Amino acid sequence: MSEENDEKPPGFKRWSGWYWLLMIMLAVQIVIYLFITSSF
Amino acid sequence: MNTIDWIILFSTLLLIVAYGTWKSRGSRNIDGYLLGNKSLPWWSVCLSIMATQASAITFLSTPGQAYDDGMRFLQFYFGLPLAMVILSITAVPIYHRLKVYTAYEYLESRFDLKTRSLAAFFFLMLRGLSVGITIYAPSLILSSMLNWNINLTTIFIGSLVMIYTVSGGTKAVSMTQKYQLTIIMAGMIIAGMTAFYKLPHDITFPEAFQIAGEMGKMNLINLSFDLSDRYNIWSGLIGGLFLFMSYFGADQSQVGRYLGGSSITQSRLGLIFNGLLKVPMQFVILYIGILVFVFYQFNQPPVFHNQSLMTRAAETEYGADLATYEKEYDLVFKRKQAEAENLVAAIREDNPGEIEAAKQSMEVIKGQEKVIREKVKTAISSAIPGANTRDTDYVFITFVMTYLPHGLIGLLLAVVFSAAMASTASELNALASTATVDIYKRSIRPVADAYHYVKASKWFTAGWALFGMAFASIANQAENLIQFVNIIGSLFYGTILGIFLAAFYVKYIKSNAIFFAAIISEVIILYCYFFTKIAFLLYNIIGCLVVVALGIIIQTIQNQGTKKAPQ
Repeated sequence: MSEENDEKPPGFKRWSGWYWLLMIMLAVQIVIYLFITSSF
Repeated sequence: MNTIDWIILFSTLLLIVAYGTWKSRGSRNIDGYLLGNKSLPWWSVCLSIMATQASAITFLSTPGQAYDDGMRFLQFYFGLPLAMVILSITAVPIYHRLKVYTAYEYLESRFDLKTRSLAAFFFLMLRGLSVGITIYAPSLILSSMLNWNINLTTIFIGSLVMIYTVSGGTKAVSMTQKYQLTIIMAGMIIAGMTAFYKLPHDITFPEAFQIAGEMGKMNLINLSFDLSDRYNIWSGLIGGLFLFMSYFGADQSQVGRYLGGSSITQSRLGLIFNGLLKVPMQFVILYIGILVFVFYQFNQPPVFHNQSLMTRAAETEYGADLATYEKEYDLVFKRKQAEAENLVAAIREDNPGEIEAAKQSMEVIKGQEKVIREKVKTAISSAIPGANTRDTDYVFITFVMTYLPHGLIGLLLAVVFSAAMASTASELNALASTATVDIYKRSIRPVADAYHYVKASKWFTAGWALFGMAFASIANQAENLIQFVNIIGSLFYGTILGIFLAAFYVKYIKSNAIFFAAIISEVIILYCYFFTKIAFLLYNIIGCLVVVALGIIIQTIQNQGTKKAPQ
């Protein structure tokens, strides 16, 4: 494998906020869908 | 369909094609033609990814699926945001830094040429055959609805796509997809609103939810863990993660979309916003199917939604039987309509006893409807041997053609054609990139000027488009062929994903080990296909795990061999 691929992907820390946002949005959606499923 | 519909349909399609062709003309180097000079902003990447994934069948089938089976199909997409995060962290920076044109090019720097060529070959096999189906499946439905010849419909869609993909490459694909997706979303929302406003008794939005819920359609989440059940939250999160990892990480039709992003950040944002928007978008499309379902509790639905097939069957000796069944269905519907009105009244009075009573009666009526529909399907099968009696794909489009005002019918047909064109365009572009970069430029003609490869890519794009159209015409004669193509995808996807997962995460595995692991895995998958009854969807996971596991085993054996050799 070339050395370049062994490096840690750049900007991971800077981007982690977006990943958290996406995961939180998924969790929020699942909770909403659970609420809809149990209410209707 | 009247003149206004035809004008709206053709002007929408032709304007988008003309605009895409004109704006993207004149790429004279391969960077411009295959990567759009890496100039796309994140929102353009995101729209292009979404338009590629959403084929015409998505918009025809998904509302029908919700109408028939409720909203549980939504869970299938829960793995997608997870896949977006993993790919943003790993695949995007690697592809960008290595400045690859295709995903398979990366495999050469990670492993070797033979692994790259093998993965590119698997991709060309599965995507090359499926491009025919991407054109054929909507053509079948549209030709039946519009009374067009099916071959003419495939040629119409295929030729329009060919014009701008050959002329403008990646830039034309993403440029047209922006407008196509706008038309698609606007059209779908208008169709949903029309279904809602046509509901009787001033039914409110929450009441529509409640009616659908009482009829068992709001089954969004199923928490029980059951491997035989295709749609529950676990199969969505785990199975969906594997499927979307392979689709977005190792399938050039998607990788090509985010490689066009102007930086790592833009590509990542494109993927992340796709993850944010995809599940709500599927929710909206499924909910449109639910609104159509609620609408048909108060308005007479056709006994069989593929009306062109029904008309053909009615012209045979089974016509009298079919007419009798239709009358029976009408009578049953009148009772259902009365019960649906009782249900609305009970919901408004908030009377649980009455709600339950109306619900029970509607369940009984639903059973009766099912029996009549089965009789209709049997009669159609006898009247037209070999006819496909599954009519869920026709539910939404029949509703559109029957109940939407003129003008909107044309717009909704433009939605279906646009979706077919958007996904076909990405597939053609990906096939041409892979054929040019991974096979032609790498192994057949390594030295030539830049313009030569642009011309080669154009020829490959046109060639794959013609192949797709030819395959679509053959598919018309052989229903089995379509099933075969759907299976082919599952046969190769798992192995391709396994190669990429090993490349990204298992640095221990080197080139020879992965190559032989991939070949053995493919033999095992083919064995499973021919000699076992394992469900196709599992092939993705089996193929992927076998490649990685075998890769580690072969590498270990190889390492021990090299250690022993000097002694």
